Amino acid sequence: MPIVNEGVLEEMKHIANPSELKHIQEIYEKTDPLMQEIAYALITGNDKKVDELTKNSLDNGYSANTIMDDGLIAGMAIVGIKFRDNIIFVPEVLISARAMKAGMAHIEPILSESDIPPVGTVIMGTVKGDLHDIGKNLCIMMLRGAGFIVHDLGVDVKDIEFIDAVQEHNAKIIGMSALLTTTMPNMGRVIEAFEDEGLREEVNIMVGGAPVTQEFADDMGADAYGKDAIDCVELAKQLASK
Amino acid sequence: MKENMTSKERVMNALNGLPVDRTPVSNPTSVATVELMDLVGAPFPDACRNPELNAQLAATGYTELGFDSIAPYFTIIQESSALGCEMQWEQKDNWPTVRMSNPIWKSINDIKIPPNFLEHPDNLAIINSIKILKKEYGNDVAIIGKTMGPWTLAYHVFGVEPFLLLSIDDPKMTMDCLKKLKEISNLFGQAQIDAGADVLTYPDHATGDLVSGEYYKKFLLEIHQETAEELNVPLILHICGQTLDRLDYISQNNMAAFHFDSRNDPAEAMKIANNRIRLVGNINNPVTLYSKNTEDVKLEVEKCLEAGVQLIAPECAIPLATKLENLLEIPKTVKEWTKKQNGN
Repeated sequence: MPIVNEGVLEEMKHIANPSELKHIQEIYEKTDPLMQEIAYALITGNDKKVDELTKNSLDNGYSANTIMDDGLIAGMAIVGIKFRDNIIFVPEVLISARAMKAGMAHIEPILSESDIPPVGTVIMGTVKGDLHDIGKNLCIMMLRGAGFIVHDLGVDVKDIEFIDAVQEHNAKIIGMSALLTTTMPNMGRVIEAFEDEGLREEVNIMVGGAPVTQEFADDMGADAYGKDAIDCVELAKQLASK
Repeated sequence: MKENMTSKERVMNALNGLPVDRTPVSNPTSVATVELMDLVGAPFPDACRNPELNAQLAATGYTELGFDSIAPYFTIIQESSALGCEMQWEQKDNWPTVRMSNPIWKSINDIKIPPNFLEHPDNLAIINSIKILKKEYGNDVAIIGKTMGPWTLAYHVFGVEPFLLLSIDDPKMTMDCLKKLKEISNLFGQAQIDAGADVLTYPDHATGDLVSGEYYKKFLLEIHQETAEELNVPLILHICGQTLDRLDYISQNNMAAFHFDSRNDPAEAMKIANNRIRLVGNINNPVTLYSKNTEDVKLEVEKCLEAGVQLIAPECAIPLATKLENLLEIPKTVKEWTKKQNGN
């Protein structure tokens, strides 16, 4: 099916990498015009339009899964690429995330009643002593935009809270964030706490945050390090398929 | 040019674009460490809230590290505390922070400067510390105060996400908020000047990690130009993260200098600034100063000197567990490099 939405076609001009463009085109070629319209409304952060179109689509017999995959997640895929390539910045991502939320408000109740498994379940939090959350929140938006269920523990999260959340939600992935050099080592302490509880093998731990490096992540025994929210989604996908 | 300048003369000349006997080593942001806190018995958070302890710890930047300036405002939260933001003061080994997830204001109508704003203990701690430092070191060392710009204050009082959403939903309202918040920046800045600050650092975190370069032009350039006229000491704008895409605009803000992050190449930054604004920076904190050794510090300092960066400094407030030997290496390298350049 050809891509008919002019807005989506225009947005694709931002994708510089040919193989990435091909991949995105293939995704959109499988979608119908209404789903492309939802995707475009999401990319441009038009939450009212996403809300209205999602509701109409459900009323017209589209499945919740189709709307999520072909409309919302397809739209978020382009948002992610534009963000990674510095074509858009956090405010623009925030309005797209708000639009995603408007659509998901209709979709989530239906999905939660179905037996369709999520891509994965992730526990996210900023470690103890650190109150910065914008990076973590961006990761959460992108993860949800890619179909993950995310439990956000917020900021200043203690070791035991990560452990309790993993057990409560039967999650296999944890994402930890720190913005301060003073709190970075607390990520290592959470990893040690999982080891002490004999739960380390049960979970995959990814870390990130402005001062964190691959070297630091390796030293403290994390399973993965992501430099930004896009990396975070890719890593979570890899860890979920392990 | 004087052959042997005082630290103060060196810093002030460099900020004013005048000749110097050597490149000054400065600290527009904090160089406090746990080791220095222990050395003078002035630990966090008390050293952020008590003027005497604050001055004792701040002075170590000059007395122990050999930097050419003293900067007593270690954090970015003093005036936000005075405005009523929820605070987490933490312990000696961690930074006090504003609980930005519980913002105190929602709209422009909420922006009100408390009548006793400058008398709030957390503002007085800085103001009175500057008075102490001025008396003790004022003839020899540049005293650098600090006042948060309106963009940073907006993160604290409105929360980061609500404020960034407002910037898209209602740009005019965003501008109006920034103009009102600027009054707070100026009020606290002027109080520090009156107390004896020779220079003010002006953090305003419109960073490339969050917003585009065009945002700087759209929302902040004019406000910063006005501020540069209104506060009558050299101002050092500080923005973390990637800033090369906005450095051309920053170079037009009429401030004396820009304190920049290690994620920006010094030579490229110097080229863009093109003598319209002086650069201060940009020794990497989390990797080089925090976890590497003196040889790595030396290489980075030399890279900045060779690029012509006018004041050498760590890129931002240094990690509290930074080794002193790495900090001492900064002025040592600058002196050695200068000697070599002079053929001595």
